[in-house]
Amino acid sequence: MRSGKATKNDHPSLQALALYSNGDLPWLMRLKLGGHVRNCARCEEQVARFRSARKELNREAGTQTLTGFESITDWTRLEREMLGNIAVGVAAARCIDNVRTSRTLVWRAAGASVGLAILFFTGWFANIPSDKKEHLTASIRRSIGIESPQITGSVVETTPQGIAVRTQGATLTILHPPSAVVSLAGSSSLGARFVDEQTGQVTITNVYGQ
Amino acid sequence: MASSLRLRGLTPLFGLVLPVCAWASDTGGRWLDVEFPRDSPVLFVSFSLGPTTAHVRGSSMALDLHTSLVLRNTGNKTICGLTLRVEAQDLTPAGKGSVTVPSLNAQPGEVFPVRIDMELLRPFNVTKTEGAMVQVTLDCALFNDLSYYGPDTLDSRRALTVYELEARRDRRYLAGLLETGKLAQLREELNFGMQDLSPQQLGLALLREPEASQKGEQAVSVLPVSFRSSPVEPLGGAARIFGNQVRAPQVEVKNRSLKTVRSIEMGWIVRDQQGRDFVAGSSPASMRLGPVQKAKVTEPGILRFSHPTGQPMQIGAVMAFVDSVEFADGNVWIPSRRDITEATSEIGLRRALAASPEQQRLAEVYRRKGINALAAELKKVN
Repeated sequence: MRSGKATKNDHPSLQALALYSNGDLPWLMRLKLGGHVRNCARCEEQVARFRSARKELNREAGTQTLTGFESITDWTRLEREMLGNIAVGVAAARCIDNVRTSRTLVWRAAGASVGLAILFFTGWFANIPSDKKEHLTASIRRSIGIESPQITGSVVETTPQGIAVRTQGATLTILHPPSAVVSLAGSSSLGARFVDEQTGQVTITNVYGQ
Repeated sequence: MASSLRLRGLTPLFGLVLPVCAWASDTGGRWLDVEFPRDSPVLFVSFSLGPTTAHVRGSSMALDLHTSLVLRNTGNKTICGLTLRVEAQDLTPAGKGSVTVPSLNAQPGEVFPVRIDMELLRPFNVTKTEGAMVQVTLDCALFNDLSYYGPDTLDSRRALTVYELEARRDRRYLAGLLETGKLAQLREELNFGMQDLSPQQLGLALLREPEASQKGEQAVSVLPVSFRSSPVEPLGGAARIFGNQVRAPQVEVKNRSLKTVRSIEMGWIVRDQQGRDFVAGSSPASMRLGPVQKAKVTEPGILRFSHPTGQPMQIGAVMAFVDSVEFADGNVWIPSRRDITEATSEIGLRRALAASPEQQRLAEVYRRKGINALAAELKKVN
């Protein structure tokens, strides 16, 4: 028996009828609403309209293409492609993660190298003779401007080629052959003695500091 | 200047690279000046240049100068030896050099060569000044009567006098061996005519650093080595040793002669940790020391020793001896051969103490030309 007297309040909403028409309601509500629709001509008509509209849409969608490529009705394929795109995105994200990881490794290697260098320098600095240590420290202090440049006197020393006096940034070396005997010749003087191969003369060279 | 060698315009002869030539031209174009006073008994005759080059080294310019000067004795006395002062304007007045030729025996009118081999390293940014980069002048010429000529700014007269006295001593000694037929001893003295392939060599550096004590420094006594006839006796002293450094060695001396002493030359011997002795050299000290008076001779600064390879030489002990004494009257005492023989039984040290420039020259004559040439040389000079 169908009742055409159902009030507005007795009829289910349009949204519920639309869901019912497509079978998208939970089974308990679908059962309850189905009972009403079977007994209500108005609602039955509305459901029929919904189903007709859906069929029309499906039909029209089957004849058109989305952006000229694929049919929107091929939902399974669309789903696979979307999943594929998601997989590609995830893979790309993993690649980016790998890049970040390798960059991190580079930074870590650089940090380790710096640490090793500091360790090596500290060990070397701790083991060099104290006079060299003081000289190096003073040089660093002077180079970074903590300490004003020291006005030093001259340095008199032997070199592989001869005897040299070094002062004011310049160096004068009096050369001698390897057979020369070098000795102290004063408080700030060195001497080298050798026989000149060409002249046969004994020659004594000296350098003097201040 | 009568004898002035101007090398202006000779720069193409040096075969220099172009930028350096240009730079040299900016400085006035003179690398070397040789200047002797007009009244000098030694005058410049000519020169020859060896492979003299200039090149850039880092931020500096390096000038390698090899020259041989030909000089003439224009006086009327035999010249026993001379010292040429070598000055580079970039180092003046703090640093300078010299070339000494002892045992010269240049007769009046005789010409003789003097070689100068040097390298000058100077930064490019130094202030350019007038004049040559290197200037060679006469410092002292010593005659056979022990008089001298020259400004003697390097105390060359005293050194040349000591060399000449040592030369006379050694010539007499070797001539005596020759005359008495002690040829075996003569050959031994002259190293058997062999080249000394392992001469006693030291690497040395003199540092004028503050007297700051170093942690780990070791205070040691300076042991005296006495010569029997020495007018001044070393009594002992002290030094501080730090690795390969000897710091501020000092020794007390006593005048045991009846004459006033003007200066003494203190010799230093260092002993490495293997027990080998090395004559480090000697340094003069001016002092006025009356009879029986005592004085302390101090070597200021730091002496740093190394082997010729550059490896630091660890110092074990320091010894001192009086190498020469100059009296107030101008006379000079040097140890006799007997003094040296009696001073030590260690053959190497004895040989090092006795190794005068003249003995070195005569050993070379013997090695190259044989005993007859040596005899002729001794006869000629004596």
